[in-house]
Amino acid sequence: MSEPLLVLDNVAKNYGAIKALKGISFSIGKGEVVALLGDNGAGKSTLVKIIAGGLEPTSGRMLFEGKEFLAKSPAEAKAAGIETVYQDLSLCTNVDVVANFFMGREITRKFLGVPVLDEPAMEQVVEKALASAGTRIPSLRTNVEHLSGGQRQAIELNRFVHFGGKLVLLDEPFAALGVEQTRRGLDMIRQVASQGIGVVIITHIMPQAFQVADRIVVIRQGVVAGDVARNKTSPDAVINMITGETLAGAGPAG
Amino acid sequence: MNPRTRHALEFVLDNLVWFMLVFVLVVFSISIPNYFQLGIFANIIEASSVLGVMSIGLALVIITGHMDLSVESVAALSAMAVGILFCSAGIGLGVQLHPEWLMVPVSLLIGLVVGGIIGAINGYLVVKVKMSAFIITLASYIWVRGLVLVISGGRSAQDLAPAIRWFGIQRLLGLPLTAWIAIACFVVFSLIMAKTPFGRHLVMIGGNETATFRAGIRVNRNLVIAFVLAGAIAGLAGWLLAIRTSGATANLGVGLLFNAFAAVVIGGVSLKGGVGTLPGVYAGVLLLSAINTAINLMGLPANFTQVIHGLLVLAAVLLDAFKQTIRQRLA
Repeated sequence: MSEPLLVLDNVAKNYGAIKALKGISFSIGKGEVVALLGDNGAGKSTLVKIIAGGLEPTSGRMLFEGKEFLAKSPAEAKAAGIETVYQDLSLCTNVDVVANFFMGREITRKFLGVPVLDEPAMEQVVEKALASAGTRIPSLRTNVEHLSGGQRQAIELNRFVHFGGKLVLLDEPFAALGVEQTRRGLDMIRQVASQGIGVVIITHIMPQAFQVADRIVVIRQGVVAGDVARNKTSPDAVINMITGETLAGAGPAG
Repeated sequence: MNPRTRHALEFVLDNLVWFMLVFVLVVFSISIPNYFQLGIFANIIEASSVLGVMSIGLALVIITGHMDLSVESVAALSAMAVGILFCSAGIGLGVQLHPEWLMVPVSLLIGLVVGGIIGAINGYLVVKVKMSAFIITLASYIWVRGLVLVISGGRSAQDLAPAIRWFGIQRLLGLPLTAWIAIACFVVFSLIMAKTPFGRHLVMIGGNETATFRAGIRVNRNLVIAFVLAGAIAGLAGWLLAIRTSGATANLGVGLLFNAFAAVVIGGVSLKGGVGTLPGVYAGVLLLSAINTAINLMGLPANFTQVIHGLLVLAAVLLDAFKQTIRQRLA
């Protein structure tokens, strides 16, 4: 395995008496794509929020690039180089595509010492980024509220590809995408990983996981139920891990 | 629809309140004798300066998706603080500074700081205690007005120092300096909202607070700044009010809040947050002022103003809904 980028060591999260995560340990290497699988309520999204700085763990520790790491806010995680695409879209529909693309890291130039938005520069970057990803949006100056679900998700995906960072967390990024866009999205993930960026992708769709991931980590009831290289496992074996072996065959899964 | 008509239509929708203002001015100029005079127009601008400044602060907070009901009382408190210190009659202490012009920046600073402090309290409670801004600022609306009554004992301060009064008297291009201050505020804050990352962030916070938080924008910090700004701007409105009335009374500015609300809504700011621009708010303020002036000129009882303002707010909200449907069809 390549050099570990992020190491999770017994990360746990309680909501009162409810243990959402009982102690998760696994690691992500540089340039590695890890698919995080698990049934609804297994704790995948909670885990992503903890890494991304949206939630604080109850116990456990994380090492990012070999150093103790705990993001107290998304801003800190971002500063450390962790990009996140959330399941529920994180766009401001009341502003245009360019504003959303650059949310929180606008390009500015100084005018009399005051930072002023450099709209032409930002528009150029967005145009380039979207074009290279093959996303068509009629006008970059339309407010996002007028765009379709697929176009919105494309903005978010292109955003992480453009800004990259060191680690990308994707929480069901293809939920609203069509077949062609999904294929392109998976290509994007491989392309990002080939630049040495670690990728964690949460998905429910087994073929997607097997198509894109180097390693598959299964979470069940708040613990890691399986951590295997993709080429050493099969969809059936993974489904057994997700449902728990005793329950295997209890119903149609996957 | 071809792109050209579409752009034209969008332009009209975005600036609807300006078209309404022009329309109203034209109608009044034709139908009301003596309305069409430079002096009348100057008067419309002059009469709207206090309300205009106050509306800026209110609009800022509403655009961020929150609420500040305290602006009116904050203005009164700032006016009273300036009045007590720099008035020479009534409860005024008649503080003198040398040179005299020093009283201008000092009194202005006092007004801004008093307003800023109340704004900071509002912002802190909204962000840290996570209470609804509506309730917190409603409380401030009440207790700050109470504070005005307490420190004034219900009495008034008169005869503001002439050096400060000078702002209300001195004219530049036909308008008193107080009106120019209001215009300058609109220009500055419009630029801040439209051209700086800070303004852009406020609009986005109003649109989707969770998204901005996830994107790493320091939402709480921005919110507190917005509340402090709203307070300080209300303080400036109070300073202008003290100049205009050459002092301060305990019930100074009562009712301004609702006019400010009317102006903000008519100006196209959505109470849901995230939508609206400050130039639109200024047009809303001027529209109200133009109608007030018309009512005065026609010799109608002043009590009619309130009825008309109420109807106008209602019309503005209906118009907003109508604009939404048109926009959806455009998209």
